[in-house]
Amino acid sequence: MIILEARDLKYAYPDGTVAVQDLNLEIKKGKKVAFVGQNGSGKSTLFLLLNGTLKPAQGEVLFHGVPFRYDSKSLRDIRKSIGIVFQNSDDQIFAPTVYQDVAFGPANLGYSKERVETCVQQALEQVGLSRLKDKPPHHLSGGQKKRVAIAGVMAMEPEVIILDEPLSNLDPVGADEIMDLINEFNQLGSTIIISTHDVDLAYRWSDYVFLLSNSKIIGQGTPVEIFKEPELLKKAGLRQPTTLEIYHEIERRGLAYGRNSPKTIPELVNTLKPLDLMWVDVPPRVREGDSLNIGVMYGEYATQSPYEAINATVLHIHPNGRAIVELKRKGIKAGGVLIYDTDNYSLPEIKQILEEGEIAFVGAMGKKSKILAEQNGLRLDVSSGVIDKSILMALCGKRCLILTAGGMVDHAFKRIKEYVETSGIEFTVGVINREEGCQWLEEAEDSLETLKI
Amino acid sequence: MTNILDDYALISPLRHRNNWLKLAIVLFGLLVGVSSTSPVPPLFIALCMSFTTIALGRAPLKIYLKLLLAPLGFAVVGILIIAFFSGSGQELLSFKLMGYPLSVRKDGLELALLVLARSISGMCCLYFLALTTPMIELFAVLKASRLPEAFIELSMLIYRYIFVFLDMALSIRYAQTVRLGYSSFRRSLHSLSMLGSTLFVRSWEQGDKLFLAMNSRCYDGKMALFEVHRPVGAPELLLTSAYFFLTLALLYLTKNASIV
Repeated sequence: MIILEARDLKYAYPDGTVAVQDLNLEIKKGKKVAFVGQNGSGKSTLFLLLNGTLKPAQGEVLFHGVPFRYDSKSLRDIRKSIGIVFQNSDDQIFAPTVYQDVAFGPANLGYSKERVETCVQQALEQVGLSRLKDKPPHHLSGGQKKRVAIAGVMAMEPEVIILDEPLSNLDPVGADEIMDLINEFNQLGSTIIISTHDVDLAYRWSDYVFLLSNSKIIGQGTPVEIFKEPELLKKAGLRQPTTLEIYHEIERRGLAYGRNSPKTIPELVNTLKPLDLMWVDVPPRVREGDSLNIGVMYGEYATQSPYEAINATVLHIHPNGRAIVELKRKGIKAGGVLIYDTDNYSLPEIKQILEEGEIAFVGAMGKKSKILAEQNGLRLDVSSGVIDKSILMALCGKRCLILTAGGMVDHAFKRIKEYVETSGIEFTVGVINREEGCQWLEEAEDSLETLKI
Repeated sequence: MTNILDDYALISPLRHRNNWLKLAIVLFGLLVGVSSTSPVPPLFIALCMSFTTIALGRAPLKIYLKLLLAPLGFAVVGILIIAFFSGSGQELLSFKLMGYPLSVRKDGLELALLVLARSISGMCCLYFLALTTPMIELFAVLKASRLPEAFIELSMLIYRYIFVFLDMALSIRYAQTVRLGYSSFRRSLHSLSMLGSTLFVRSWEQGDKLFLAMNSRCYDGKMALFEVHRPVGAPELLLTSAYFFLTLALLYLTKNASIV
């Protein structure tokens, strides 16, 4: 379903500078969309057109198939449904306290005092700032200001959230928290539009990409389609995403399987060819190209999981009866990722899981969970890029626990499950304290014998 | 980060007490202070207020003393003049300075002490308010006192942007300093005027952006103000009444007393 649409849009500033021209676009509901382009390519102006702040000189913008009208009542409805978060938080936060700033939107919508109160509480809780609600904005850090700005928009419960350069001027952990938040809203059904010139972010995060250059859209499609075209990227003044560049280099050297477009480090790892060569003694009748079953290895011979079934392909047989084989490893008892929903939180339960579940690696996503972990003295191994790092650890046979809450639980579960499905590498993933329960803790009892080699 | 009084008020535990009670205490102190004829009640008020600000309001002692020192300097100069040049009655002290006879008389000294006590008590009362009640708490008070909405809204926005522009001004100044903008007097004047004009242009632009930001969140000409309800607790009420009572008693007892 198309939620936002622009037809033949044109806008020029009063001094004659054309900011946007010949612009046609369709944005589907529930998607994560990125507008990528250099500074000054017209992204910010486009966003102001999309929320009705600027009126196009030509063409029209449609929301749910209905063209924008620019009378004050229609604009009000549009702005309620399409929230915008500016690049500079100081431009956006104008009230003297955090609470009052977040309450500004809901109060303008004419909500009752109680409803405003619940909206604000909820929004602040979600961004993890409930404790700072009486602070003036100038006492907050850049990341906190950004979260206030997002909470202010969220409190109005928009269907579409537009974020202009959401990660500019943020440190890696702060940036990661913002992305976690954005992903959570998306999981809860909001359509997210961001602008960025960070190709890595757009490639990794988005479902759909628009490339902007000189106030025009010069390309659109899924990130995989867009970022594999060097000519297009050059025209837009951008470069290839780092993961893709690395992948192409190792692929060219024959170290990775071709025709992939890895977006994350776990996916990149998954494309690697298992170039594991070994000298072994082989029986006389074995030929080159045959397959050998070498058996189960563990300890230092198992590099990726605690136990590995190893098959070997014979590449070359030396006259003295020894052969060079390429090893293919298959993890038998791989690691796994457990997700713990901190909405139903109990410290003894976590402690028990940490002790009995042989958890080697703990991460937290979302400010709320991080604060919780800090308060209870739980040591976190990682607090940014949690999902990717957990997958990488699970691939190495470790067990990971991710503490998170709300929509991020589903988001994390979905992402990891997707990885398991597309990579074909089995490791367990589950949400512990939800109704489905966790199969893994019970499975942990299983002994090695039951596993087929 | 710059340290301003508002920052201390924001972290003060007394911030979360009823604003009207605090205002009443301050008003009471000011009124009693100026209506007293003896320096004792104002000094008592000053003592109580300082104690409350430092012990209950957790204002740092060092900062507090420093703050008091500045206006005290002016007060001391003033009372020296009063002590030497006014009053009649018994001569307490006299000497000659470069041929001019100078003397302190009883009335003059008493008046000087009274003025000193009053100004200290007034300062302590105001510092109590300034160090325990941040501006953001006072907006609700302004609203309740039926000031025009536009005035309150403007003051809220101005309050917020003071800090934005303060940061901006500091970073511009820094940028000028590292490129030797303040190396000589002439340069300094030039740099300062540039800073002023840049700030003006920036604040103009900020106004545009502010309008945009407010509009995109459905601004309809009215900014709601949410007052936090803070009931007066029994201990506060008791303490305040005791303080009022003691001060009034002191005021009555020292009505005609003279300390010199």
